[in-house]
Amino acid sequence: MLCFSPSRRGERSRKRAVRAIFIRLGAERTPEGRSLRLLREWLSPVQSAQFLTRGYFEVIGGDTGKQYRIYAGTASNVCEVDERGAPTIGLCFLPQGELPIGDVMLSQKIALERCESRTLEVSRKFVPTGFMFRRNRLLG
Amino acid sequence: MAIQIVMDRTGESRHPFNPDETRELAKAERRFYALTDGGSASAVRTGLGQVSQIQCFDPTAEETTVFPRLVGG
Repeated sequence: MLCFSPSRRGERSRKRAVRAIFIRLGAERTPEGRSLRLLREWLSPVQSAQFLTRGYFEVIGGDTGKQYRIYAGTASNVCEVDERGAPTIGLCFLPQGELPIGDVMLSQKIALERCESRTLEVSRKFVPTGFMFRRNRLLG
Repeated sequence: MAIQIVMDRTGESRHPFNPDETRELAKAERRFYALTDGGSASAVRTGLGQVSQIQCFDPTAEETTVFPRLVGG
């Protein structure tokens, strides 16, 4: 006689999915979670995929067409990259006040895409080291 | 319904309003200028991943975000 019981693999995968939903809902109640949700809503599909898989996303400067990479972080987390994707100049700029990480990164994206020249004027430049931009936390 | 999203320490404050209601629209406009006159910048979402920075209140924008002035780190 055949006996039907839920497969263990299916059950495990369902439990994992439920757990992920709980973690996500819980996280979105925090300032950081809310800010990351807002960031995800405002990223393009390509930027969103980059952020999800690499921990950073790239934007094109609105005035010069240069390419910038925004890493997960709230300070010293932006760099200009060359055509090979190597960081050339580090940029440090952020919105005033203590904003959560997603808000800082979204402000940086809007600033570089829409008022690049003004942003470059206020930002502090530094020489990027491999160490600084190797820390890609996956938050997307 | 349109919405103004103001970035703050809590992540964001969301202010939905009906642009067809004169009173709500006026309130949204006052909020916009109160923030931007204080130095905040604002942008509207114009498409998927597309943003446009605005200096003046746009009553037709569905989603406007306001964030504090940028400073060097």
